[in-house]
Amino acid sequence: MISIKNLSKTFNKNIHAVKNVDLEIAEGEVVVIVGPSGSGKSTVLRCINRLEVPTEGSIAIDGVELTDPECDIDSIRAEVGMVFQQFNLFPHLTVMENICLAQRKVRGRSKSEANEMAMKQLTRVGIPDKADSYPRQLSGGQQQRVAIARSLAMEPKIMLFDEPTSALDPEMVKEVLDVMLELASEGMTMAVVTHEMGFAKAAGDRLVFMDEGMVVEIGPPSQVFENPNEQRTKNFFDKILY
Amino acid sequence: MSAHEEGNKRSLSDKPKWWDTFPWWGIAIVAILSWMGYQIVTNNSYELAWDRVIPGISITVTATLQAFAIALALGLLAGMGQLSKNVILRNLARTYVEFIRGIPILPLIFTVALVLIPQLQNALGFKLSFQMRATVTLAFIYGAYMAEIFRGGIQSIAIGQVEAGRSLGLSRRQTMNSIVLPQAMRAIIPPLGNDFIAILKDTSLLSVLGVLEITQRARQFSASTFKFREGYFVLAFIYLILTLGLSLLLGVLERRMTRDDRDVRSNRGID
Ligand SMILES: Nc1ncnc2c1ncn2[C@@H]1O[C@H](COP(=O)(O)OP(=O)(O)O)[C@@H](O)[C@H]1O
Ligand SMILES: [Mg+2]
Repeated sequence: MISIKNLSKTFNKNIHAVKNVDLEIAEGEVVVIVGPSGSGKSTVLRCINRLEVPTEGSIAIDGVELTDPECDIDSIRAEVGMVFQQFNLFPHLTVMENICLAQRKVRGRSKSEANEMAMKQLTRVGIPDKADSYPRQLSGGQQQRVAIARSLAMEPKIMLFDEPTSALDPEMVKEVLDVMLELASEGMTMAVVTHEMGFAKAAGDRLVFMDEGMVVEIGPPSQVFENPNEQRTKNFFDKILY
Repeated sequence: MSAHEEGNKRSLSDKPKWWDTFPWWGIAIVAILSWMGYQIVTNNSYELAWDRVIPGISITVTATLQAFAIALALGLLAGMGQLSKNVILRNLARTYVEFIRGIPILPLIFTVALVLIPQLQNALGFKLSFQMRATVTLAFIYGAYMAEIFRGGIQSIAIGQVEAGRSLGLSRRQTMNSIVLPQAMRAIIPPLGNDFIAILKDTSLLSVLGVLEITQRARQFSASTFKFREGYFVLAFIYLILTLGLSLLLGVLERRMTRDDRDVRSNRGID
């Protein structure tokens, strides 16, 4: 479904954020990406919906080549949901308006269709009663769930998560992870950058360990986690776990 | 809990006395205006001056509104132009802004109204009144100032907002119109209001081209009657009423637009 070949991204000519990354993500697969800060995880994710333009290599989604300048990036992005660490809800719009905006403008849905879909997704993430609130009136966990609902309302084929729980107070992490787990169990194709190893084990089909812009190791989460082939991977997990 | 109570107590005892926060300045201005108004109503010379100056108010107001409207359009264009991906647009906008900002208003009015526009008129075969020429010049000047306001307002919106919009499949334009501009308005409206008032005052410069707005009428009245005090006193009175009225109006609008500004700002941030 997603095919990343020899992806490299260089910032300002000398910051090599991502180096020669190859990664295939199959339909329905959940791939969890971990690695130290600055190892290029976000950059890989952001290349998948072209928030960053790759310096080298190719990315194809359902066979459509993203690096092709002719491709209609807006229609591709409509199929790729993205959830950010900082939620990035639109503060001047209500929850309902947040979820309906792109449905109306990109999918061309009518107001009632969009509202119906919004309520369906809000119910799915467990906060249908917040439809008329503004983002600032919600807790961090609720805001992130709205952000997920906003992406799901577009009925994407793939969901990308960039450290979706890193900005949350500890007691709110679970409510967001629960939504993601449910999504994974429903067969959504997902690429998730997270340090929540519980999630990786429960939902991840494969775990990717990145360091210094490169993929160091890929495998089933429990194996990479408990029995890594590479010393670098082992060092990393020794550092984050206790 | 106890710390909370202590905080409350302190803020109670620190509560400023009413005369400390009372808007004395408002009383002072109302008093001065009332006194001025009283002079104009009761004193014949002032009344004469009033009758001669006040017909110019329609030109002053019209020129203000026209210049503001055109400046708004120019400012938005040039402000967005400076942020454009297109290198030509970006440099055109930058050139316009830097050029205008580097020249004082009066020489610009003379240059545009007496040199540039006449040449354009000859070349393109249209004709503008002096009032229109000066209005257009004002609009070009304030358009450049407003371009900076729009640019700053747009740039104050966190990049994460744009990324969220684009990630949902919205185009650049849709993201700008539905997400960035509505939020930027909060930062844009107060300084735009200042420029509105500044334009109103700067329409007095139309007088250098002989346009019969209120300043020119006051000049003519004073010069022909030697009643300088009365002429300029009435002129100042009219400008004060206009600017204070406008500023009150803008204050209400601003409060409406920025009511929940503080809360909104706390929700910004990017990775
Ligand atoms: N827009 C940017 N401009 C310059 N350098 C960047 C930019 N984005 C990321 N980088 C750099 O690229 C490297 C990888 O960043 P990132 O992908 O965010 O890592 P991670 O998400 O794993 O923490 C870091 O060194 C970071 O400083
Ligand atoms: Mg990151």
